Amino acid sequence: MMDLRIPSGSFFVLLGLILVGMGIFTPSERAALTEANVNLYCGLVMLAFGGFLLALAWRAVRRQS
Amino acid sequence: MVTNPDKLPRAWLPSVLFSLFPFGNYVRVRGPFLKLAAIDYVILALYFLFVLGIGWMLRRKISTSSDFLTSGHSVPVWITSLAFLAANLGAQELVGMSGNGAKYGIITAHFYWVGAVPAMIFVGLFMMPFYYGSRARSVPEYLKLRFDEKTRGLNALSFAGMTVFSSGISMYALGLLLKLVLGWSFTTSVLCSAAIVLAYTFLGGLTSAIYNEVLQFFLIVFGFSPLAIMAVLKAGGWSGMSERLRAMTLPTGHSGEVMVHSWRYLAHTADNPMGIEVFGLVAGLGFVMSFGYWCTDFLVIQRAMAANSMSASRRTPVIAALPKMMMPFIVIVPGIAALALSQMGVGYHLPMKENGLPDYDQVLTTLMGKFYPAGMLGVGLTGLMASFMSGMAGNVTAFNTVFTYDIYQSYIRPGKPDHHYLSVGRVTTIAGVALSIGTAYLAQSYNSINDLLQLVFSFVNAPLFGTFLLGMFWKRATGHGAFFGLLSGTCAAALTHGLTVAEGKGGWVAVLHQFPSSMAQNFWIAISAWTVCFVMTIAISLASEARPEKELVGLVYSLTPLKHDEGVSWYKRPVPLAIAIGLLALFLNFWFA
Repeated sequence: MMDLRIPSGSFFVLLGLILVGMGIFTPSERAALTEANVNLYCGLVMLAFGGFLLALAWRAVRRQS
Repeated sequence: MVTNPDKLPRAWLPSVLFSLFPFGNYVRVRGPFLKLAAIDYVILALYFLFVLGIGWMLRRKISTSSDFLTSGHSVPVWITSLAFLAANLGAQELVGMSGNGAKYGIITAHFYWVGAVPAMIFVGLFMMPFYYGSRARSVPEYLKLRFDEKTRGLNALSFAGMTVFSSGISMYALGLLLKLVLGWSFTTSVLCSAAIVLAYTFLGGLTSAIYNEVLQFFLIVFGFSPLAIMAVLKAGGWSGMSERLRAMTLPTGHSGEVMVHSWRYLAHTADNPMGIEVFGLVAGLGFVMSFGYWCTDFLVIQRAMAANSMSASRRTPVIAALPKMMMPFIVIVPGIAALALSQMGVGYHLPMKENGLPDYDQVLTTLMGKFYPAGMLGVGLTGLMASFMSGMAGNVTAFNTVFTYDIYQSYIRPGKPDHHYLSVGRVTTIAGVALSIGTAYLAQSYNSINDLLQLVFSFVNAPLFGTFLLGMFWKRATGHGAFFGLLSGTCAAALTHGLTVAEGKGGWVAVLHQFPSSMAQNFWIAISAWTVCFVMTIAISLASEARPEKELVGLVYSLTPLKHDEGVSWYKRPVPLAIAIGLLALFLNFWFA
């Protein structure tokens, strides 16, 4: 069975990279009701989560071999 | 809709992205509420790519009908648990519940803390041993093993109808959303979403649906938690929200105080905007409707049955109860915050319908538009679409299995080789999606999708729990008792709806009683259906011949030795896990009382 942590981890890493990129390169992009750099913070959280899933999957592969 | 590129602000998009995605210069859609940027479409496309990719990667694993329809009992417990939850995370969850948050307040959380968690714990501890242990492939098949062929047939048909209905409602909600955001026509939106769900369930069957449900669940959590956090912070935290709501009088004439307490205003139907009282809530929602749904609905049970061991299948609903009880903070609290924000003069207004009443189903999308910049807006919208799709795919895969095994293999073409049923399963996927499209158009005539769903569930599911309760825990219950009990319970549900009126609905026989809200009416339909089914099943069972006890081993509680998982750590055992999660649910009920 395919390890679901690999596709979902990669998805969130990519999503996180896009959002962090938005947060860094276009920091003036703001929503009407908030001052926060929403893209940057959400992107960092997603990047961390995706990396965590990939790390778990990597550890599982190493244990098996 | 493509607007003049010269007028478009382009400072927000780095030049690197521009060269990668040249269409970003031109595509800037203006919907009535939300403006999507090119980057939002990139995120949406990325998601679709992964969803279809998972289906594509799993297609090789499918060689038997069991691989396609039941995942061959091979899925790890964390995946089945999240899929158990996400399959239920359909249209009613995000859009409906955030709307209800703005309309009724924290009382809506009863749908989670009373109307889901206890039943999820119960099904894991007490019912999964029989579903999983009996080796039935579906809930109707369990009914056949425990009772008889006719009880299975009745359940299979009503369940098949119900899944198509629910899936259609998910599709309808998604159609409305895409119409609003992308300016697509309802028909294009419905067909487009149906095509994607069809593609990945057709390729990878149940496993593909389950795997995608987990991805969808993550996306929903990461797409909506930031919105909840920001909306609540902007409204001044929980205490600030409470202050502002206290000062206002709701359109229903109640004080704002009622919005922030879940139990305090339930003594009389007149005390709260939902029009419910304690007995109707606890007996109707907390007992009959919730147990009827979580304990018998094959849509969710199918996920737990796909688990890779008995212990894992029992832990599946219990583990799923943990994120389930946290969902109110993501879906209901933003709705309450929206109501508070609309009082603060910060530029947020509740969305209105043309007739001047609030359009609660749009609360979530309007909040997103105010709090998410391009980028996160794409993630939020993708999360919304994901929730509709997981609801749709969950129903389609359940419909598939029940139709193929319980209707086709049992009544239409029994005794064919397995590859025949595999192709039937695939064809049924297409048929199920097509039927859902039909019901999507039906759903257009109702104004609140959540109330409609609850009504359908109360007709079909409420009496069913009476049947299962007696079937699993009373060895004297017989096939005749179950069948006629179920039938009379469903009739009682229809009759109660026909004799009472709420919000102008029902009363098609005569009007004997007026309920203050459809919610209260639904609770009482469920209560009467369950009571009639329970009493009739007992009466007819006692009048008919009992089955020999040796045929019921593995199907009835008192005749089945339960294996205890000794020697594994507590969090890997269903009972200690259930106690911990139950205590947490109790705490939430007290905290927000």
